[in-house]
Amino acid sequence: MKTSFEDTLARHVPPGVDGKRELIWLAVGGALCLLYSLSFFIVYLNHYQALFVWDGTARVLNTEAVMPDFIALLGNSLTGFLILALCLPALIFYHYAYHYRDSMSIYLMKRLPDRWELHRRCISLPFCGILACCGAAFILLLVYFGVYMLLTPSACLAPDQWQKIWIAFLGVVK
Amino acid sequence: MIEVRNVSKSFGGKKALDSINLTLPQGQIVGLFGENGAGKSTLMKCILGFLRFSGEITLDGEPISSRNIARLSFATNEHSFFPNLTAQAHMEFYQLHFPKFNEKRFRGLMEFFELPANKALRHFSTGQKNQFEVILSLCQGADYILMDEPFAGSDVFNREDFYKVLLGILEPTETVLLATHLLEEVEHFIGRAILIRRGRIVGDISMLELEESGRKLIDYVKETYHYQADRVSKALNELTGEQ
Repeated sequence: MKTSFEDTLARHVPPGVDGKRELIWLAVGGALCLLYSLSFFIVYLNHYQALFVWDGTARVLNTEAVMPDFIALLGNSLTGFLILALCLPALIFYHYAYHYRDSMSIYLMKRLPDRWELHRRCISLPFCGILACCGAAFILLLVYFGVYMLLTPSACLAPDQWQKIWIAFLGVVK
Repeated sequence: MIEVRNVSKSFGGKKALDSINLTLPQGQIVGLFGENGAGKSTLMKCILGFLRFSGEITLDGEPISSRNIARLSFATNEHSFFPNLTAQAHMEFYQLHFPKFNEKRFRGLMEFFELPANKALRHFSTGQKNQFEVILSLCQGADYILMDEPFAGSDVFNREDFYKVLLGILEPTETVLLATHLLEEVEHFIGRAILIRRGRIVGDISMLELEESGRKLIDYVKETYHYQADRVSKALNELTGEQ
């Protein structure tokens, strides 16, 4: 018995394409990107520990130390999402090419009264995937930034962290 | 009525259709004949809007667009179904997109040809695939059914059955344009024959006219194509050097 979600999914991929399987692959790709992004914490924790010095048996904050900029610590940890998003146009191509494989179902799709049906079925899932990648990357950026700002002792924070992110993403060189 | 006015189509400088003029009124079964590469498929693809062309094609005076395309259906030997879907899933897809889909006719034809409803089409035999392709075109609820060599690869029994069924089920308002090489097989079931050669219409005659003149379709085709009856014997003589 198909659920309404499965029905909706089936209406947004070419007829006969297993939308559920494509969605699972997308989710697996997203999960791998998420796992890779966790490398941020490894880098962060290394630098965080470097902020402290041992005074006998006590660990004390070295107020002279400065935490590297967030954007520097972030490095390539969100690149997985970019790569996944860049791969998804290939899925659009695959969906269009599907209509020429083993039959010419493109003839049927082209003569449907709803002239957007073909494009909707070929583009929807990859487009949603691209949006999801961008959304996930943005949310993780905010979460990691929040972690960075909350956990880093304020005495060790370099100023203008948020501006530096914008500068990095907009490609502006100071 | 489908009207084709002054339609030309070229592929890389080579003319595939050259100033075609043609009308297809409702309620006719029309045979479209011509050798390979004559332009039969190209003409159909122009009518359906798959190819760009110069000239004008109208359906009851309106250009063919998404507004009236549902009045045309198409069966092709290249097959336009989805190989991964079952027949049942195709029916549901057609019902979703073509409000006039004739489910009763679909079920009747599926039963007549003993086609499985819940088997993916990629597992069908070539004959079954052809049958299913034609069934879909007949059940869409279209007024004009365009068929491009739909029986290529089917055996003679398969084809015979189809001609009979076709004659039995068509409504008086339904028009069939059938492109085929099988002149003798279809001459008793078509009402009009159109001959196309090198992208031009070279003959257009009703079967009634042919009958009255006491000729067979094949004779008309040979006349129109200026077929030389002795060309085979001449060629053999040249090849063997015998007289």
